[in-house]
Amino acid sequence: MHLADIIGIGRTAAGEHWRRSLVDLCVEAGGAALDEARGTTPTAVIVGNALGGVLGDQQNLALYAASRLGLERVETHTVADDEASGGSAVRVALALLAAGLHERVLVIGAEKTTDALPDGVEAARAKGLDAVREAGFGMGPSVGAALAMRRYIDEHRVDRDLFYHLAATAHAHAALNPLAFLSWPLPEEQYRCSPVVAEPFTVCDGAPLCDGAAAVVLARPSQRASSAIRIAGSSAVSCRPGIAGLAVDLSLPAAERSAAAALSQAGLAARDVSVFELHDSSTLMAALSVEAVGLAPRGKALDFAARGGLRIGGERPALTFGGLKARGHVMGAAGVCQIAEGALQLRGEAGTNQVAGAKSALVQCLGSLGATAVTHVLA
Amino acid sequence: MDIARSWRQQDSNLRLVGSRCRVCEALVFPQRLRCPSCGGADLADHAFQGGGTTVSVATVREAPRGFAGQVPYAAALVRLDEGPVVAAMLADVEPEEACPGMRVSMITRRIRQDGDDGPIVYGYKFAPEGSP
Repeated sequence: MHLADIIGIGRTAAGEHWRRSLVDLCVEAGGAALDEARGTTPTAVIVGNALGGVLGDQQNLALYAASRLGLERVETHTVADDEASGGSAVRVALALLAAGLHERVLVIGAEKTTDALPDGVEAARAKGLDAVREAGFGMGPSVGAALAMRRYIDEHRVDRDLFYHLAATAHAHAALNPLAFLSWPLPEEQYRCSPVVAEPFTVCDGAPLCDGAAAVVLARPSQRASSAIRIAGSSAVSCRPGIAGLAVDLSLPAAERSAAAALSQAGLAARDVSVFELHDSSTLMAALSVEAVGLAPRGKALDFAARGGLRIGGERPALTFGGLKARGHVMGAAGVCQIAEGALQLRGEAGTNQVAGAKSALVQCLGSLGATAVTHVLA
Repeated sequence: MDIARSWRQQDSNLRLVGSRCRVCEALVFPQRLRCPSCGGADLADHAFQGGGTTVSVATVREAPRGFAGQVPYAAALVRLDEGPVVAAMLADVEPEEACPGMRVSMITRRIRQDGDDGPIVYGYKFAPEGSP
């Protein structure tokens, strides 16, 4: 399918933006995307953001972002689907385009977590799980990942330290990316000595929450021949949420279905895809995502990563700008950031992170520990 | 956590009250207005017995706000004998000694306090079976 053209891309660095507000980040990324789309004026602005309101920041964010960008008389929506917010914002834009309501839509993903103390951010983030039964009883995404990780190790009989290779892959790619938050290679010794968050889950298993924004300008598919990167498949699926289901089944059914549907729309199989941007909010979620998308059989994601299968130049290049783990976990911005990165790969503009000859990209972001999945295929 | 919220949850928090679907007999925890299995609206309260087995355990050392005073604590998934899996903390056990496959039973403990002057929330934790 040909759902939309990506005619502009903007990204901020992922990191600690002390001088920037949440709205500033939207304006920086959104402005860059509009500059690239040269003279195009969107008539709708969709912003994906997970925690702004919860952390005491701007609500109705899309309105304020649009206004500060000088866009007047536009339709605006703010989308909050936990860590899948960015991908969901793109879905909303595609729906508006498909319905014929707009010709050009600006999509921004933005997150600002460094204004709040880490334990407060973790508590806010935990509300993406069941606010009463999980967050209310001391469980957050890290504890959920830890419970699933313990089960993964027992069930698949894998060496706990093999999770290193997923983190190392992300770090190796982030080391090449000037916009990454943790832009250095991760030595195995540092991974092994990392402080425990929730045994067996350590600091180095988690993706660092940080500030950042990304934006794309989407246009209805043009009839004329165009060199613009296309969104060729798009699917969002939500399945029953809960740490229990994740840890017992050790699978991501929403991610599996959403990836399969998006690939089928694009007329591709996973083995045909050049670049994979997945939701590595932790090494555990990275492993389950790799398996959900079909890059490795169940229980074999760690071996595959250890063999270099996910490296740029490897069999299935993934997390090519550092992923959430090392580019930085920009929460609600993640889904848009992944699309921007995938589009740069297909344009051949990924610089030192370039996957040679990249022709298609699968980008997937997940909310509520994988219960909500949004996948896009670019070609 | 305001008072009304805490009050609303007291049956499930203190007595493990969930629901039984009168149509498809599914048991679910906590209480539901609609059966998650068949979608039916004819549900009766069902108090779970409180016995169960740990499915997975993790020792938490960095806790979200509201739980820092309790670290280290063991977070667990407990499969109740009637079927549903509950995420809860373990009590009366050294976190390092907790492991999957342990027999546990429900006890009522302090779960968290919101700030120095906020309400104290009580609810279920699970302790090794036979512990005092």
